[in-house]
Amino acid sequence: MRFLPLSLLVHALGCWAIHESDVGVVDWYKSLIGVPLAAPQPTTPKFTLVEGKDVILTATESNILASLNVDDGSIRWRVAYDPEDRITGFYQNGDALVTLSGPGGAISRSIDLKTGQIIFEQRLHSNSEATIIQPHVAFDPSSQDIYTLSNGYIVTRLDQKTGTPAWSWSGQDQSSLTTYTHLLATPDTIFAIGVSTSFASYTLHITSLSASTGEVLASSELPSSIHSPAVDLFAFAKEAPVVAWLEQGKVKSLALTPNLKDKKAQVSSSGPFEELVDVGLPGVLVGKAGQESTVLSFDGSKFTSEKVLGEHDVAVKYAGSSVNGKRYVAKSEGPIIEVTGLDSDESAILFPYDADDTLSHYSIHTSSVGVPRVLVVTTSGAVQLFVNGELKWTREEGLTTSLLAEFVELPERISAEGEATKDEPFAHRLQRHAVLAQDFPQYLKSFVRRFVTGSYASATSSAVASTDGALSRDAFGFRQMIVTVTLLGKVYGIDSSNGNVLWSQLLGTGILPFKVFSLKTVSDGVDPEVVIIAVRQLPEGHETVVFHLNALTGENLAGPSVFRGSIAKAFLLDQSSKFVILVDETLKVHYYPNNGETRTAFKKVHTTLSFPMHLIKEKEHSLAGYQFAVGEGEQVVATPAWSLPLSPGEEVQRILPPSARGPVASVGKVLGNRTTLYKYLNPRLFTALTVTSTKDLCGLYLFDSAKGTVVYQVRIPADNGACDVKTALIENWLVYHYYESEVSSGNVQGTKGYRVVSVELYEGRGIDDKIGSSDMTSYANASTAVFTFEDSFTFPYALTALAPTNTKFGISSKDLIVATKNHKVQSFPRRLLDPRRPRRKPTSQEAEEGLFQYDPIIYDDPKRVISHSYEVANVRQLVTAPALLESTSLVFAFGLDMFVSRVAPSGTFDVLSESFNKPQLVLTITGLVVAIMFTRPMVQRKRLREKWYM
Amino acid sequence: MVFHSLQGLLCLLLLCAVGTFAIDIQGRIVWNDVCSNATTLGRAKVVLDSGSQHAGAVTASGNFKIFDAPVGTYLLSVISHDYTFDQLRIDVLDSPEGAVGVEVRPYIAGTPLNPPADVLLPHPITLAAKQKFSYFTAPESFNVLSMLSNPMTMMMVVAGFMMLATPYMMKNIDPEALEDFKKEQAKMSGVQNAIASGDFKGGISAIMTAAEEQAAARAAPRTGKGRKSKR
Repeated sequence: MRFLPLSLLVHALGCWAIHESDVGVVDWYKSLIGVPLAAPQPTTPKFTLVEGKDVILTATESNILASLNVDDGSIRWRVAYDPEDRITGFYQNGDALVTLSGPGGAISRSIDLKTGQIIFEQRLHSNSEATIIQPHVAFDPSSQDIYTLSNGYIVTRLDQKTGTPAWSWSGQDQSSLTTYTHLLATPDTIFAIGVSTSFASYTLHITSLSASTGEVLASSELPSSIHSPAVDLFAFAKEAPVVAWLEQGKVKSLALTPNLKDKKAQVSSSGPFEELVDVGLPGVLVGKAGQESTVLSFDGSKFTSEKVLGEHDVAVKYAGSSVNGKRYVAKSEGPIIEVTGLDSDESAILFPYDADDTLSHYSIHTSSVGVPRVLVVTTSGAVQLFVNGELKWTREEGLTTSLLAEFVELPERISAEGEATKDEPFAHRLQRHAVLAQDFPQYLKSFVRRFVTGSYASATSSAVASTDGALSRDAFGFRQMIVTVTLLGKVYGIDSSNGNVLWSQLLGTGILPFKVFSLKTVSDGVDPEVVIIAVRQLPEGHETVVFHLNALTGENLAGPSVFRGSIAKAFLLDQSSKFVILVDETLKVHYYPNNGETRTAFKKVHTTLSFPMHLIKEKEHSLAGYQFAVGEGEQVVATPAWSLPLSPGEEVQRILPPSARGPVASVGKVLGNRTTLYKYLNPRLFTALTVTSTKDLCGLYLFDSAKGTVVYQVRIPADNGACDVKTALIENWLVYHYYESEVSSGNVQGTKGYRVVSVELYEGRGIDDKIGSSDMTSYANASTAVFTFEDSFTFPYALTALAPTNTKFGISSKDLIVATKNHKVQSFPRRLLDPRRPRRKPTSQEAEEGLFQYDPIIYDDPKRVISHSYEVANVRQLVTAPALLESTSLVFAFGLDMFVSRVAPSGTFDVLSESFNKPQLVLTITGLVVAIMFTRPMVQRKRLREKWYM
Repeated sequence: MVFHSLQGLLCLLLLCAVGTFAIDIQGRIVWNDVCSNATTLGRAKVVLDSGSQHAGAVTASGNFKIFDAPVGTYLLSVISHDYTFDQLRIDVLDSPEGAVGVEVRPYIAGTPLNPPADVLLPHPITLAAKQKFSYFTAPESFNVLSMLSNPMTMMMVVAGFMMLATPYMMKNIDPEALEDFKKEQAKMSGVQNAIASGDFKGGISAIMTAAEEQAAARAAPRTGKGRKSKR
């Protein structure tokens, strides 16, 4: 009943919706998994066979568990874990994959290897008592039940199908000196292997449990001295359960029996070693000593040296694989990976691995027919599969770490005609025209065909302009270049029409991107250029690096310019030419490009500029504003202008600039009664988000960066101590989203849920009071004269990002684009969030303005889900950019997945409507022509007759 | 003094005990016509409140379990990409016997939590998908029949047909009836014109004259006929 008026309302708001045929034409979607994790061993990528096909299983930095096809690298399935529920390991158990995740391995899940569906989910211990000890899982090969070791002291037997615990054994509590790190299972006995802290090092401690009841069979301390149990202790089952450790350079091992009577460790004759490496093969360890590495294998009683792998340095990495009982060990050295067979005399195979990247880690696998495969993960996040040394596929998983993104317009296509010169001889010209005229019949034919049947470029047509030659835009500017910079120090140029990576450029390692600006655009008559500002971490401190790239090719236009110290602020100024101003930690000003022209241009305007920053002094946070002044030696420096201390315990989370600085189409809003509300358009407004953890409060401040006046301020309850407020400031419209949990403060009267608050700021003291806030100097008293309208709505979803649409001239209404936690990108119309919606039936004047009755619930319209059936997971940021069409805005969502689409908040009013029916028009015209042809003689006859009878 | 601190300690202990009162909330997604199995449902999660503290995944069999929900009032919602589910109000209660109980009630989005609904739902919760989102609108397709069935097109066609057909109809009509018809038409248009221009008096007088003319015509039927025959 309640939704009936709502559905009417939705119609009133206009239905701009997606047609099924537009999928993949107006939008694209790239599903990613994140950069695979390397260590520890339970999280490294593994090859396995599922339904007769080779697949790769991997856990990633983005906390995704995924299964990839070996053939083409496509995703078979993926499971996204919550950010606080880190995957600590995955273990294959027949057709299921058992994972432990969360602090100390608090949650165990079993996942179907074929479909990726969760079979069961079981909590092993509560999060509050969790430790950071690496958990472990073991399987009983006969019953396939699951044994978990979590939190360092809890061993649980879980049913393989339902996850129901059969028994749980808890070692001594956390305060005890023993922590368990490994678990081994035999059909009758479970061995929990751990260490006890003793005077200078750790002593091995083993407890054996009955597999059926969980009773302790024996518990024993073994005389040993382990320096670092995380890297020096190993446990594996090879015929019998064996524990191995490194003690004073020697490899010691012990086969375990249920009664733990045998305490005599076997010492390997080889060594001494500095380090032992587990390569994922049971009973095989690689020992590193000096310049040499040796493969050690367990022969039933002790470790013996099997093969010498030769020299190694620090960057060398090892991996192992076994197929049909044949074991292989690989060693990487620079770009070369060397695979050695342990059970056969297969000579070392070399993999020419050519990439400008350096190797981060890799996994090897040898197929049943003996074809070696290497899965390589590079430091920039590329995942590559090499089969027999040849690159099979690449996944650019580094894109999941994208931090910055910028849309760059592409140049128009230059038509390749007009070779005519001024003083062309007549004969030559005649000849040229004759050659050109050859194509005329063809042209005429296609013209007629196009006139009768052809379609016109519409707002929903594909954005691919031309396939030949140079990069160029389409008719409406939907095809642009998206330049993204990742945390792993790589820049990508992505085609916004299909998501292909057109170029990529490595900036270097240890680089933290700070800002990206487009320094030159197509309108400057040259190839567009971008400037990337990044901070590089060096052993002796930080340095700031400025990269200058051609946005079409990714070429370096100038060598990176560097200055010492970290950067505090960077912004782009557009005077006669564009340049970047960088302010370092010590408030010194740097220029890019660093030339005289830039300096003089900046000196002209520097007094009018200000910027806000957040200061921490003796743990007290404050907001501060800075201005520029000429200091010593004619150098411009930033100087503090004001500071706004926050209440004790209040910390600044973020300072956000306005979401869009596009052109403002109108400075006022004309009401139904012909009065005007003038928008408060102070260009120096910034938003600050704060958190007061002691009081469970979040804060939002809207302040003038030139003088620190707070224009709007609000306190928001925190959700269990966390502040996750999403906000955007668009012209004079502030919108913020948060979770309201009133119950925690003792008030159940209200309602819990997500809220979105919409605030509109208008200048002056009321209606028709125009003070011109957009051009006013910040020193005028009236510059903070403002009044607001605000309203709050309950919102259906949790959000991960939020952005307004952005159009070329700002005439189209500005809808809110949100990325929700249930993996959608959705648009919400501005009119729905109008804070002036009346609480009763709107009067005719209000209806004229387009206001309709207030409803506390924001209607969730699935037709406005621009990502429709795509699962756009974990979006971190939304970037919107104008197209050449005023009506249309491009939306780019990134985080884990990438998604680009177009939205037309006010409908596509500037192109031929989607419902424009050309056949109907042609048919009607043809009908009329036929009718005229038919009636013309009749009319002529009648006229003639009339003349006769006059 | 000692007694006092002991009391404080006891209080603290009690508080700790209350804090640890927690229960697992269990339930099941019932497959129905809207959503028939776990594959069509896709990845789904059941959360209490914002889900930042308590959440559980929906497994392949449709079961879910939220572990260790402490005493309090929560809103339970299902987070799914393609389906909508009802929200429920969950009260984890601390009963005097020390056992922890769960009360499940229906909840309508946007309404205050208090007073709670009178209806109690069973604890291992059963939920069913209410609706599948439909993201697409069907594009308008062109067909000649729909174009012709458009009232405007039909009117146009009828008008065109009439234009062509009238002269022939006129020809076949009885001349006398035609004369009457023409007169009637002229009369009506006169009345209409007068009324349209706001001249009611003129309109009425036009009706009157028409009546008179009729009477006159009846008196002298010959004249009309004579004029007609002249043509």
